[in-house]
Amino acid sequence: MTSAVSVHSVSIHGLTVRHRRTTALDAVDLSFGTGVHGLLGPNGAGKTSLIRVLATVAPPTAGRVELLGGDISAPTHRTSVRRRLGYLPQEFGYYPGFTVREFVAYMAWLKEVPRAKAPAAVERAVARVGLADRIDAKVRTLSGGMVRRAGIAQAIVNDPELLLLDEPTAGLDPEQRVDFRALLRELGRTATVIVSTHLVEDVAAACSEVTVIGGGRVAYRGTPHALAALAAEAGAEDFGDNPIERGYAVALRHHRSGLGGSAGWGAGR
Amino acid sequence: MKRPRPTRRGGPAAAWHVTEPQAAAYADGSLPETDAWSVEKHVEACAPCAARVSAAVRAGAAAPALADVRAALLAFATADAPAEATAPAEAGAPRAAGDLLPGVSPAPAAPADTAAAGRAGRAPAPQLAGDLSPAPTAHADTPAARHSGPTPAPAADGRTAVAARHAGPEPGGAGGVCARRRGAFRDPRAWMVWAAGPAVRGPWLVALLVTGLVAAGAARAAGMSGVRPLLLALAPVLPSAGVAVSYGRHADPMHELAASTPSGGLRLLLTRTASVLAVSVPLLTLAGQLLPAAAGAPATPAWLLPGLALTLAALALASYVGCRIATCAVTAGWLLAVGGPALLAGAGESGESSLADALSDSLATVLSGPAAQSCWAAAAAVCAGLLALRRTSFDHLERI
Repeated sequence: MTSAVSVHSVSIHGLTVRHRRTTALDAVDLSFGTGVHGLLGPNGAGKTSLIRVLATVAPPTAGRVELLGGDISAPTHRTSVRRRLGYLPQEFGYYPGFTVREFVAYMAWLKEVPRAKAPAAVERAVARVGLADRIDAKVRTLSGGMVRRAGIAQAIVNDPELLLLDEPTAGLDPEQRVDFRALLRELGRTATVIVSTHLVEDVAAACSEVTVIGGGRVAYRGTPHALAALAAEAGAEDFGDNPIERGYAVALRHHRSGLGGSAGWGAGR
Repeated sequence: MKRPRPTRRGGPAAAWHVTEPQAAAYADGSLPETDAWSVEKHVEACAPCAARVSAAVRAGAAAPALADVRAALLAFATADAPAEATAPAEAGAPRAAGDLLPGVSPAPAAPADTAAAGRAGRAPAPQLAGDLSPAPTAHADTPAARHSGPTPAPAADGRTAVAARHAGPEPGGAGGVCARRRGAFRDPRAWMVWAAGPAVRGPWLVALLVTGLVAAGAARAAGMSGVRPLLLALAPVLPSAGVAVSYGRHADPMHELAASTPSGGLRLLLTRTASVLAVSVPLLTLAGQLLPAAAGAPATPAWLLPGLALTLAALALASYVGCRIATCAVTAGWLLAVGGPALLAGAGESGESSLADALSDSLATVLSGPAAQSCWAAAAAVCAGLLALRRTSFDHLERI
């Protein structure tokens, strides 16, 4: 994992993030390669803090963050990473007069998508999230789920190599979530996609790998399948609606009682 | 509350339909959001449900708003039709417009002029969407044109009702804005200029225009000689106020998104500052030219260098404490430096003219003469240098 030339597009070492006196992330080591990675964890576990550091919008308190082959504390590399980055924050705003097309095009302009390619890239991104028929509607006239999809469109407009989505499925109805997972799998073939969510069924359906974060540390890393198997191993059949939910609960419980150590456990320790 | 949802494509196979209570709940806004989305998706494809929903909306609180939209659209369509359409389409055009909106033309088109109505419906509808911009027409756009004519007029009904529920009618006079924006989008250079300073279109621009107009108006109409020094005292800090309302996480709704892009940070801040200056310098200079000269006050262009220096000072300070605090601090500092002595000197005497004279005197001290102007130029250079040294501090979201 610490070889000089890393195959991972994201590798972080000893990442610590503090907000005033609370510690959001505590000396976390993680790495991600091409594929769709799920970030699971209870509210306040540090998912959003991690995503914001990876999106280069928040500086880490301590630790080293390497994205797409370089340390992002160097301004020139940070700018180069930002050109190849897609980011959907948990909450985002837009200018009141913008249509969907203008909103996505403005983000394409900020991301320095070449001017000649921008109009086509905007239409493609909007079509990929299923908003093509509303492309010239004002964003403020859209329902919550549609605004969310417009947000996903701006994140993918520059065909990012690293895509960071913070709670992307919040506000989508079940059907739209199914479509969205298919889009995620498609994006994950060529890019590193990191999705923070609290919906375990998203992880089960779309992610090739899952990372559970609890209390600012990594509680579990593995495949969704392995997480589901964990519950059976622990003999926890008494709660949760499906194997992954049970596995998630078991992983968090083990993490809290400090029982990490077996294979696949506690990469952050 | 568990109920089957309509399939995504809708269509005749969809087992689920909107019930009367649901339509009523949708119309008054009490239907839960996810259910409302299902209703909206469903009425796009299901004419009976669209009719039910639009009837409920028409019976509800949105009725006056819908009537306004209908009146505006009808006026537009009837005014435009004779100029553009041939004789049969002329008769059809108002009908097609009626199909877009509830209650205007409830009777189905007679078979004889079906074709004419269809033709006319296709012609004006996209144009309406372009010109009579914001709310409902954007939704009514092409599907309405496709449906107008004999078949599911109620479907168009439902969509309009949906649009009205979300947006409500826009005040008149906004027509053409949307079309212009789309035009700007196609011309990349115009688009760049427009995109550079979203905040220039905001409340700050209104404040700036009001300042200029009130100053000019008061001076012309009432002959107040104190207006010119007052404008001179405010002009140097107005640009940095414009920057503060256009950049930073307190002011810019897209700040977090912009901060993750290569253009975020100092580059975006400077782009917005440039657009703010491009608007405010000509406006304030023009307002100054319109004012009658006051005895003892410095000439109007004297504020330009101090304005630049104070703007740069606010930017440099912003690299430490954020745009909002920096602008407040610089503005307060400037107003104290200029207004404080004037208040002290004017306090002894009474009357507004003496206060204006005192303000003129204190402005003359800090603005007039080559020495003062050289100091401002040097200050601007120092602040620009500091800003260059601090450039990477804007790369992350503002702290605090």
